[in-house]
Amino acid sequence: MTSNNNSQPVLEDVNVIVAGQGGDGSLTVVTMLADLFRNAGLNVYTERDVLSRIRGGHAAATMRAFTGQRYCIGSHIDLLVALDEEAVEKNAHQLNPKSIVVFDDSSGPLRSGLLPEGTRLYAAPFNRIAMRTMRRELYKNSIAFGIVGRLLGLEDDSMRHTFTKRFERRGQIILDYNLEALDLGLHLADEMGIKEGEGIYKIELREPEEHLLIMGNESVAFGFMVAGGRFFTGYPITPSSEVLETLQKWLPRCGGVARQTEDELAGINMAIGAALTGVRTMTATSGPGFSLMQEGIGHAGSGEVPMVLVDCQRSGPSTGMPTKPEQSDLNIMVFGGHGDFPRIVLSPGHPDDCFYLTVDATNLADKYQCPVIIAMDQALSQNIASVKPFKLDEVIVKPGKRLTPEDVAKLDTYKRYGFSEDGISSFAPPGTPGGMSLVTGNEHDEFGLVSTNPTNRVKMMDKRFHKIEVAKKELPKGRHYGDPKAPIGFIGIGMMYGVILEAIEYLKEKGINAQYLQPRTLWPVLDDIYEFVDGCERVYVIDLNAQGQLAHLLMHQGVDSSKIVSICRYDGLPYRPGYLVNQIIELEEKQEAKAQ
Amino acid sequence: MTTSSNTKTFTPARPIWCAGCGDFAVQGVLEKSLNKMGIPPHKLMLLAGIGCSGTIQNNLKCYGYHALHGRVLPATIGAKLANPDLTVIAAGGDGDGFAIGAGHLVHTFKSNPSIMYIVMNNSNYGLTKGQASPTSPIGYHDNAEAGLDSMLLGLSFLSTTFLARGFSGNPEQLGQLMEAAIEHTEAGRGFAFLEVLSPCVTYYDTHREWRARVYNLDTDESYNPTNRTAAFKKLLELKEEGHIPIGRVFKNEHPSLESILLNKEEIAPAQQEIGHNDHRKHYDLFIKAHLG
Repeated sequence: MTSNNNSQPVLEDVNVIVAGQGGDGSLTVVTMLADLFRNAGLNVYTERDVLSRIRGGHAAATMRAFTGQRYCIGSHIDLLVALDEEAVEKNAHQLNPKSIVVFDDSSGPLRSGLLPEGTRLYAAPFNRIAMRTMRRELYKNSIAFGIVGRLLGLEDDSMRHTFTKRFERRGQIILDYNLEALDLGLHLADEMGIKEGEGIYKIELREPEEHLLIMGNESVAFGFMVAGGRFFTGYPITPSSEVLETLQKWLPRCGGVARQTEDELAGINMAIGAALTGVRTMTATSGPGFSLMQEGIGHAGSGEVPMVLVDCQRSGPSTGMPTKPEQSDLNIMVFGGHGDFPRIVLSPGHPDDCFYLTVDATNLADKYQCPVIIAMDQALSQNIASVKPFKLDEVIVKPGKRLTPEDVAKLDTYKRYGFSEDGISSFAPPGTPGGMSLVTGNEHDEFGLVSTNPTNRVKMMDKRFHKIEVAKKELPKGRHYGDPKAPIGFIGIGMMYGVILEAIEYLKEKGINAQYLQPRTLWPVLDDIYEFVDGCERVYVIDLNAQGQLAHLLMHQGVDSSKIVSICRYDGLPYRPGYLVNQIIELEEKQEAKAQ
Repeated sequence: MTTSSNTKTFTPARPIWCAGCGDFAVQGVLEKSLNKMGIPPHKLMLLAGIGCSGTIQNNLKCYGYHALHGRVLPATIGAKLANPDLTVIAAGGDGDGFAIGAGHLVHTFKSNPSIMYIVMNNSNYGLTKGQASPTSPIGYHDNAEAGLDSMLLGLSFLSTTFLARGFSGNPEQLGQLMEAAIEHTEAGRGFAFLEVLSPCVTYYDTHREWRARVYNLDTDESYNPTNRTAAFKKLLELKEEGHIPIGRVFKNEHPSLESILLNKEEIAPAQQEIGHNDHRKHYDLFIKAHLG
C-alpha cells in the first residue's frame, strides 16, 4: 500500500493502531473508526491489548478495515496513533517505511531514531490542547480523532455522525464536549494541511452491505438466546464478562433470567438447578472460574443435566495474564473433572461462527443431556468484527426428549434414567404430574435411586458414553480451506482461524501450497481430522499454549503422529499472518535441508 | 391437566438414618406439613446437600435432587427462578450449610429468594464419623473454636425475612414453624430459613442436653420477632445464660429475589415452550443494535 498523498490510492486494506496509557481512550477511537468504516461498506476487525487495570499501563487498540475477507489484524501497521512516547517505542517494530505516525508531543518532541526511515510523522499536542481549551485531558483522543479521520479519508460529517451515535446516550453535555473536541481536531488538521478529502486514502463508498459489528462474546450470548436459552448465571471474569453483560441486558426482555452470582460455584450450580426444571441454561467463565466449575461439570455429566459452558480462555495458569490470549484450557475442557463422564466441546473461529455454534451447543445439550463446552479465547471473545446479519430464519430449535403430562399418563412406568437405544432417557420436568423422579450425581439406577450394584454401574456408565457415540453423526464438522491436494496442512482453532486463512494465501505466493482444517468439534475428535491429516504430507498444529495441548489431544486420539508438527506459542501475543508465514518458511527450509 | 396417578415411578427409599436420629422427626413433620398445606408431590422440588440429612429427598414422593456438597442453595435458587410456580425446598446439614456452603448461605440471606431451607443441625459430621462441625462447641473432639450461630448470622442481614429454629424433640412446634415457612415461600415473601436441632445418636448424642437448654421464644409473650435489635439482644442474653433459643426468631418484609428478577409481563423461563418464536422482535432489535 502506498502512502503517496497525491495519487490517493483507494483504501483496500488498512491497519490502524491507537496506543497510549490505559484510560487514554484508545479503544474508543478504534471502536468509532470501526463503525465509520463499516458504514462506508468495508469489512472491519478490531483487537484490544490492555492490562488488567482500569487506568495506566500501556494500552493499545488496533483496527483493520478492508474490502475483502480478513479475520484478523494484519502484519503491518499503516497508521500509528501514539498518545505518548511509550506507544511509539512499543509499536515501532510493526511499522514500515510507508507507515504514518500521529504523535501527541505535549511532553516534548519525539526522540529521534525511534521510527523507521521514511515514516511520515504528524505531531500535535493533543493533551495540551485538551487541557488548555477544555480543561479535561479526557478529550485528547477526540481531538486526535479529527486528524486520524482526515488522514484516512473520512468525511467530517460522517465523523460527527458517529460521534453523536457513540456519545449521545451519555447525555447532551458529554456529546457536546466531544463534538467540540472533534472540531478542534479538524481545525488542527486544516492547520497541518490535511484538508477534508485530501487524506492518504480515498475511500470508495461501496454498496452498503449490511454488517453487524459484534464480538464473539456477544455472538455467543445472542446464539444462546435465539436457541431458546432463558437462564444464565455467571461471575464476572475477564475475558468472559460480556456474555453475562449482554444477557443481563437482553434475556429479561424474553422472560429469561441472567444473574450475576457470588462466585463461579454458585454460577454453575444455579444453572444446574435451573436446568433441572427444563429451561435451557448456560454459564460463561475463563480459566480460573472453569477450574472452580470442574466438580459441577462432572455432576452435570453423571446426573445427565443439560447445560452449556463457555470457557473464554486467557493466559494461565492460576491468574496468569488475565487480558492476554491463550488456548491452554484444552486439556481441562476435554479431560477435566474427576471420574469418567461424557461431554462435547465445540470450537468456533469467528464471531459469526460463535453464533451458529452456540445455537448448536444449546440444542445438543438439551438433546444429549450432557455438558456442552464452547472453547473461546480472549481474542475470539473480545475482538469486534463485521459479520453478515445472522440468518435467524435458518435457526432450528429442537427440544430434547421431553414428556408432557399426557405422555407420562400413557406410561406404565416412568424412569428418569431409563435405558434406551440411543442412551438418552426421557425427561419429565418438575411440575409434570406423575413424573416425580430423582436426579443425583451418585451412581444410580434407572429411577435415580442411589445404587452401587456392579452390573447397573457398568450399564449406566456405558449408557452415558453411548450418547456421545450417537451424537458424533451430527456434531459440527470442521471447515476446510485451500487446495485439498496441498502437501502442507494446518490445524488451528479460535483466534488462529483468520491468521491461518491469510497465511496460506501468502504462503502460496511464496510457492508453498497449504490447506487448512478448522476443527469445530474438539471433543469427541471427529473423522474429518483423521482424513485431513491422512491427506497431507505434513500438518502444522498451531497451539497457543506451552505444552502443545491440541497436538497432544489429536495424537492421543490416534491421528497419525508422524505427520504432526507442533508449533507452540505462549508469549501472550496474538499471531499475525506474517509471523506465521515466516515460521513456516523457516521450518519448511529445515525440512528440505533434512531431506537433501 | 391430565392426572397420571397410575404411572409408576420410583419407590421412595427407606431412610438410612440410625434409629433415634433427629432427622426422622424432621422428615415426618415435613411430610405432614406439606400435606396439610396442600402441596401436591408433582409441584414439590426437594433439593438436598451432602451428609446424613442430604438423603431426605430419596424418602419422599416428589422431584428430588441431590446437590454437590455445599451447593444446595444455588441449585435451589436456580430452580425457583426458572419455575417460580414450584414449591422449592432445600435441605441439608450444618456442615453442608455452614462450612463448605457458608458463602452461599450469606448470599441467600442477602438476595431473599422464596425458597425454604431446612438445616438439620447435629453439631458434628455424622456421615464421616463424628468430626467437629461449624456448630460444634469448644471442647468437642479437641475443637477449640466457638460454634457458629445461624440465627445471629441471619439477623445481621437487612434482607432477612424469616428466621426460625426448631427442635426435633418438639415436633408440634416444629410443625408450626414449617407450616409458617411454607406459607412464607408460597406467598413469595422470600427466604424462609429454618434450623432444626436434630441430635446425632451415634456420634454426638445431645438430645438430653438440648432438651434441657432450649428456650421457647414462641411462649415468651415479651418477645417480639419483628424487632431486630431486641431479637439480637435477647438471643445474645439467652446464649450467655446457656440457653438455645427455639421458635420464631424473626420476621420481616423485603422484596423477594424472583419478584425483582423475573419479567412479570413474560412467561417464566422454564414454562416457555422450547422453540417458540414469540421473542423474534427482541432478536431483530438485537441485530438492529449491532447494525450501523
